[in-house]
Amino acid sequence: MAKGRNLLLGVIAALLAGQAALQQLLLWPTWTKDYAPSKGLDDAPGLDPGQFLIALAGFREMIAGILWVRADAFFDAGNYDAILPIIRLVTILDPHQIDVYATGMWHIGYNFTDEEQRSDRRYLPTALALGREGSKQNPSTYELYFETGWMWLHKIDDIYPKAVGWMEQANAHDDMPPARRNMLARAYEKDGDIEKMIDLYYKLYDEAEKKLKTDPAYQNRQGADVIENNLDNLLVRSVQRGYQAKKLGIYDSGDYDTKPPFDVGFTAKVTVTEANIIRIEGTWNVLPLGTRIKVILRDENFPNTVAGGAIWDAWKGVNLDPDKDATYMQDQLYVRNQHFNKKIDMSKDPTMYPFTGKDYTLEFFYNPRSAPPHIQDKFGWNGEGMTDKNFLRDDLKGPGREGVRCMYTTLHLTRDMIRRQGEWADKVPVLMTKGYKDSASTGADQDVIIIPSLRGSK
Amino acid sequence: MRSIVSIASTTVGEAIRRKVLLVILLIGLLFMIIAPGLGVLSARSELTVLKSMMLGIIQLTSAVIAIVLTVYMIPNEIERRTIYTILSKPVQRWQFLVGKYLGAVLALGLMMALMTVVLLAVFLYMQQDIHQAIDIAKAPALYFVQMSLLAGVAIFFSTFVSPLVNFFLAGGIYLLGSLFAPFFKTMEDNGHSPVMVKKVASFVNVIIPNFAMFNTQNPIINPNQTIGSESGYYIQAAIYGAIYIGILLVAGILIFDRREV
Repeated sequence: MAKGRNLLLGVIAALLAGQAALQQLLLWPTWTKDYAPSKGLDDAPGLDPGQFLIALAGFREMIAGILWVRADAFFDAGNYDAILPIIRLVTILDPHQIDVYATGMWHIGYNFTDEEQRSDRRYLPTALALGREGSKQNPSTYELYFETGWMWLHKIDDIYPKAVGWMEQANAHDDMPPARRNMLARAYEKDGDIEKMIDLYYKLYDEAEKKLKTDPAYQNRQGADVIENNLDNLLVRSVQRGYQAKKLGIYDSGDYDTKPPFDVGFTAKVTVTEANIIRIEGTWNVLPLGTRIKVILRDENFPNTVAGGAIWDAWKGVNLDPDKDATYMQDQLYVRNQHFNKKIDMSKDPTMYPFTGKDYTLEFFYNPRSAPPHIQDKFGWNGEGMTDKNFLRDDLKGPGREGVRCMYTTLHLTRDMIRRQGEWADKVPVLMTKGYKDSASTGADQDVIIIPSLRGSK
Repeated sequence: MRSIVSIASTTVGEAIRRKVLLVILLIGLLFMIIAPGLGVLSARSELTVLKSMMLGIIQLTSAVIAIVLTVYMIPNEIERRTIYTILSKPVQRWQFLVGKYLGAVLALGLMMALMTVVLLAVFLYMQQDIHQAIDIAKAPALYFVQMSLLAGVAIFFSTFVSPLVNFFLAGGIYLLGSLFAPFFKTMEDNGHSPVMVKKVASFVNVIIPNFAMFNTQNPIINPNQTIGSESGYYIQAAIYGAIYIGILLVAGILIFDRREV
């Protein structure tokens, strides 16, 4: 009896070892590779273990659907903070809900703003990480590659090689509609890679013509016409802006719209009028429309920065709770009569502008690659048609900064200056860039808007 | 062998007549029929939601049936004293246990087959795509092995604990077995987990039955994914299930053999 019992115990031990081997060596690796609910999720701080457990249980997609409906109600109520964990949970529950990734990215990237509608850029890494994860989870469709590229192109509107990279990946997918493939051409243009832009438009035009021959439907005719029109404009501009001449090595001897370089005449004065409120005024000789100067006030040691921006995808993971001690304010200076005067009030949003650090950098940046076509007609794609007596920079380093002539300068502020405390409690901090001219010299107070000619340098 | 077949067939008959099981089955079937209406929950993913809902309902209903069916099996026989009549005949205790288990699995199989037929009918009505319908029916095949394993867990515990305790114990093991392995994987991937915790978790991971490995619905719900050898995996998973069921039955026999009835 005891012998039989021992035999059965031996059988149990052998079977336990067998199942463990089968499970660990064969089944589990295959299951995680082929059948697990999600693969390669970016790490998910901001989720508690309970949420994680739910994410791994059954009914994932159904719960995801219900949660997304709930999130919609929060959208309507304007309760944006409540949506963040829902977005994250839904994407973990069902990593194939492309709309949730896309809407989540948009929401995180655009909707968190201060009282003056400046967006909280500390959330940009989260939005981009969501796009990165979504595209990894859904590699068979162009959609999230496109959405991530669009985030770089439209929202961040800087570091254009990033937009190009994502748009190229989107373009490699067959399901990308032809109309959206134009965005890759726009990304090439903003990145200053005109050759690739022309090549792509020719390719798109050939494809559109081929499609039109097989199916002469109205939308196919319209599609071909749009591409043809874009290509025509591009080729004309490439001649007028001297791009083709540069390729042929005859730019110096010809007369092109980009010659002679136009002096933008940037100067600025910064006054900390009250605690966490600054006024920026200064000069800018360019047109009132489409020439916004980027202004950034950030921690001096804010991570992953380049001149006039940050590499927003350098942070890892979908972090729903960005560093609350970091300050990064970005705005634009509008020009009227060659002068700008803007009050930036950061006093109403202490969580967005905590000013916990000691030192701050105020950056002024103008990148002609971000300019609209009517400005680029003078400045060129890479700033060859612009100059600035004091602040022209063609030596900036980092992605999106190589090979372009920009206007860039910085001022240094301290926390005490911004908060008007310590030695600055009774003193008004005023900083000026080199060569600052006050508004009286520019006619900024006139009712008539003066539109300067960009044709010749003053 | 004849004794086992005889006990199994009697058990199937008893199971089919149990009202509580039929009510659970009916609720499951009703949910499956109304499931297509919930496609609106996801704007562009109606098909995804439909598939996941239907498969989820089958899995959940089957799990409840498997537990409710088996937790009472041995204790009821003892309580009603019908076990004496059976064991007084030339029937070994192990034959009784195996017969009961096989009967439970057969009854479970019949109920799951009925749910799968409804699944196919609803899916064909909604999608009119026979290939997708066949594809979706693959998941319940492994669910059956999963539920047979769950029934094995419940029948093992039924040899020495009361039905109520068994209900929570078997349900808990099912939940743990479904969640622990993926959770363990997350922990392993996280470099910050303490080594000792990882070792204990690793041991638990290979000892408890891994129910998650029978959840193969993900590529069925999201068909864009590329799968290696699907049939190979299904066979291996079935073998794994059979081995673990063997362990549970042998352990159950050892305990039941020494139990005073």
